[in-house]
Order: sequence, then structure tokens, then C-alpha cells
Amino acid sequence: MDTPPKILITKIGLDGHDRGSRIVAAHLRDVGMEVVYTPPWQEIPAVVKLAVEEDVDVIGVSSLATDHLIVPKLMAALREAGVGDVAVIVGGIVPDEDEKALIDAGVARVFHPGAPLGEISSYVAAAAARVRAARFPT
Amino acid sequence: MSTASGRATPRGLAEKVRSIRAGQRAAIARAITELENGLPSAAALSAALESFAGRAQVVGVTGPPGAGKSTLVDALVRECVSRGRRVAVVAIDPSSPITGGAVLGDRIRMGAAGSDDAVFIRSLASRGHAGGLARPVRRIVDLLDAAGFDEIVVETVGAGQSDVDIASLADASLVLCPPGLGDDVQAIKAGILEIADLLVVSKGDLPQAERAERDLKDMLHLRAPCEGWRTRVLRTSATTGEGIAALADALDTHRAEVGAGRRHARGASPAHADPQAELRGFGERDPWQQHTAIRFVEGGPGRATMSMRVGREHLNFNGKCHGGAIFSLADSAFGLASNSHGVVAVGIDTHATFELAVGEGDLLVARAIETSRSARIAVYRVDVTREDGSRVSSFTGTVYRTRRRHDGGAPEGAA
Repeated sequence: MDTPPKILITKIGLDGHDRGSRIVAAHLRDVGMEVVYTPPWQEIPAVVKLAVEEDVDVIGVSSLATDHLIVPKLMAALREAGVGDVAVIVGGIVPDEDEKALIDAGVARVFHPGAPLGEISSYVAAAAARVRAARFPT
Repeated sequence: MSTASGRATPRGLAEKVRSIRAGQRAAIARAITELENGLPSAAALSAALESFAGRAQVVGVTGPPGAGKSTLVDALVRECVSRGRRVAVVAIDPSSPITGGAVLGDRIRMGAAGSDDAVFIRSLASRGHAGGLARPVRRIVDLLDAAGFDEIVVETVGAGQSDVDIASLADASLVLCPPGLGDDVQAIKAGILEIADLLVVSKGDLPQAERAERDLKDMLHLRAPCEGWRTRVLRTSATTGEGIAALADALDTHRAEVGAGRRHARGASPAHADPQAELRGFGERDPWQQHTAIRFVEGGPGRATMSMRVGREHLNFNGKCHGGAIFSLADSAFGLASNSHGVVAVGIDTHATFELAVGEGDLLVARAIETSRSARIAVYRVDVTREDGSRVSSFTGTVYRTRRRHDGGAPEGAA
């Protein structure tokens, strides 16, 4: 049976610009996904606990003020908690030279300002399907 | 995470049960996903866990949207943790009836409790299930019970006056009554207030709270105790913390006097307590009905009404509605009516007449009623009519009633 992908949309660190994360969360809901949304200012252990307990397929981290540099720490913490298989995407303002570092740290994809919502949701749907298929082999 | 994957080998299952019983967070979460999504491995997992369940106190929290359910749950959970308990929370949010999507925001309002290691929170989307719960919630509660949590708090979707499913699941039902919602006539109405073991006047720091508390207490004077428990009224304020310890005390008293794990004694699943919702769910999960645009209208024990608007895709080479389409409509009503008693019924014989040709744009309605039912065999008559009332088809069908139950509960006659 087809079940909706489950996505976490969050912001880590001190950046409070949450317009982007809200718009993406609302869009993913509107294309039929189940979205766990958090306000900004989350800490890594809280995000990891949430990702484990909610068993999300994809985590979207929004960052507009250099907080993307914390994401490699998040990746390590997710692996340590046994959920290294979740797909992590980052959206917001990420300089090109940092993008490579994020990808090297295991981030699946970085979306920059101006990315069309439809492109984001198509990518998230495909990533969620891959994660689900690996977690629940038939 | 190969230990928590969906493979249904006996060894994999035993390992999974062990991890869940040991309270491993990731294993518990992954297993909940299996139950939530009805994966093939779900039934065996539920069966393997059920015998370990029955120890936890299940606390249902319901009330109108905006009553402060999540805020109260946060305060209550923290109080329970401070008393040394391990607490699981299942928070249900509505799915969009249009896209199926959902924003699960309850756990965010449970700020402090969410980050505590003694607390496990899981959000579920209602996925079209009416009544305030989500379809697989009972099995999920059994799983959390088997995982060793002392309290399991189930927060419903913001409820209307008749969303009472939670009462068949919970040991203790909390109904939140925020002040200022109505007069004393509201308080004596039937429905959600009747299922309360504890009536909680939330937002107790607001000026009208005292009045709301008085109205509810007056109402309770007129009511007899149920199963030895007399409903209590408490006033809480999550902002000031007033009344939260008293609420936890009242739950402890309820557990001591009434017990835990009562859902097992009650037998029926929440879905079966509401056959209308269960039948609607069957229709939504039926790919053929979806494909042929057959819609559920109404149903209950021994009856079901379905409708179909004849489209181009329903026509035969003559430009009239295909007999197979009419038969499908009648057969769908037959299928739902015969599966409305909680047991799985399978069709073994049908007969249909075609009495009137209908064309594109016509709305057809099929009404199935039960004409006889014994332990194993039941017979149904279905009338298919057009909008103007003229008869399109007469259909009769016979089913064999199996020993299996739709809620996955113990088959009839099992020890």
C-alpha cells in the first residue's frame, strides 16, 4: 500500500529566519507528505531523538546564517544513533565552497535560494522512496 | 539497522521483539512504522507482542481544537517523569482530506518533555480515519506497552462532541473543557463529556474557569458512577503548573481502583466500535473501488450504500453503461455490508439482473441490506437505482463468514 513519506523540517543553531522552512513544510504537506515541523533553535541531540522516534525518511535542514556548518556534526550524531540511513538535505544560503564539504559529510543534496518548490518535493519524494525501500525490503 | 528491518523471518521477528522489549528507541520507532503503514510483517509482529502488553496505564487525552491538549500533555508527562515513570506519547494530528498530507506539530508544543530520555513521543497522521484516532493506534499502544513504558498517553485529533473512540482504548479518559465554550446546557449533552473519567478544565488561570468547573461539577451530581469510578473535575493551568500534580494523583488513584490494560477486556477495536468509519476505510483501501470511482455513502451493521457517477470509462461499445460497472457497484455495496460485523466475509455466489440501460452522467446508487445471517452464511439484497428512483439492477449475494477478524484480534473460538 502506498503510504505518505515522513519528513522532518527543522533548523539547528541560532538563526531564526524560519520563513523558508515554513514554506517548504507547507508545500510538502500540500503534495501529500507527512511533515514533522520544528521551530528554529533546535539542538542536535533533540533533532536526533526526534528523527529516531518519528522514524522519518528525510530530514530537511534550513540554514540562512552559516548554521549549515553544524550539519556535519548532525550527520555524525545520526550515524551514532543508528539512523545514518536517513536522507539529509540542506536548503538556504550555502556558499559553493561549503556545499562540497556538506556533500562530503554525507548530505544528499543542497538547495539554494530560488530552487523551485516542485523540484524540492520531487527530490524529497524520490529520496524518501529510496530510504523506505532500503529499510523495509520486500 | 538490519535488526529492525521489515523481513519477516522467525529469527528476525524474535530479534525485533527482543529489541523492543529491551526498550531500544530505534527498534521501537521502526516497528511503529511497520504497524502504521500496515506492512506485511505487521500482523506477525503484533501477535508476537500482544502477550507482553497489559501492564501500562493508557491515558486518553481529548477535547476540542485549541483546548490545550498538547500543552497539558507536556506538563503531565513531566510530572510523571519526576515520579520516576517512563512515558510514551502518541500524538495524532489530522491528515488533509484533499492531499493526504499533514503537518505533525503536537510534539513541538511538548517542548520540555520531548527531549527527556524517559519519554518517547511519536506523531501519527489520522489518514482519513474519523473518530479522533488513527487506524493502527491500538496496535501501536500494545507495542509501547510491551516495550515497558509505565504510562502511554494518547492525544487525539481535536475532537468534536461525538468523537468518542478514545474511550474504548484508554484506561482513563481525560476530556479537556477549556473555559468559555458554552453554557450549562453544553455540559449535560450526550457524547464526549460522557466518556470522561477525568474532566479537566484547562487554562484554569482564565477568569471563566471557576464557572466552567462549577457547571461540570453540577452536571456530575446527576450521573451515576461507572465501573465503580465517579468522574472527577479538576482545574489545571499548564502556565502556572496549578493542578498538574493533582491530575497525576487522580490518574494514580484511577489506576489503583479501576486498573490498567482494560482495552484487552473490552475486545472491540476502536474502528469496530465505529462501523461507519471502518466501512469508509474499506472503501478507501479498495483499489477497484478507487479505480471505478465507486464512493462510500453510508453504512452500518448489515447495510451499506455506495454511489457511482457513470463516466466515459464505464461505457460499453453501445455507448451505454457497461453491465460490469453496474455489477461492480452492487458488488461493492454487498462486500461492505457483509463485512460490517467485524469478521472477514467472502462472497461465494451472486446473481444480478439488468433492468434499465443508463448512460454517461447518470448517478447510480446501490443499497445493500442483510436478509439473513447465521454463524457462517449470510445473504444480502442490493437494489441499484438511478437518481430519479428507477430500478437499474436487482442483485442478491451470499457470503461465507470466516473466523478471521478485521481488527487482527483473536479469531473466534481461539483459546
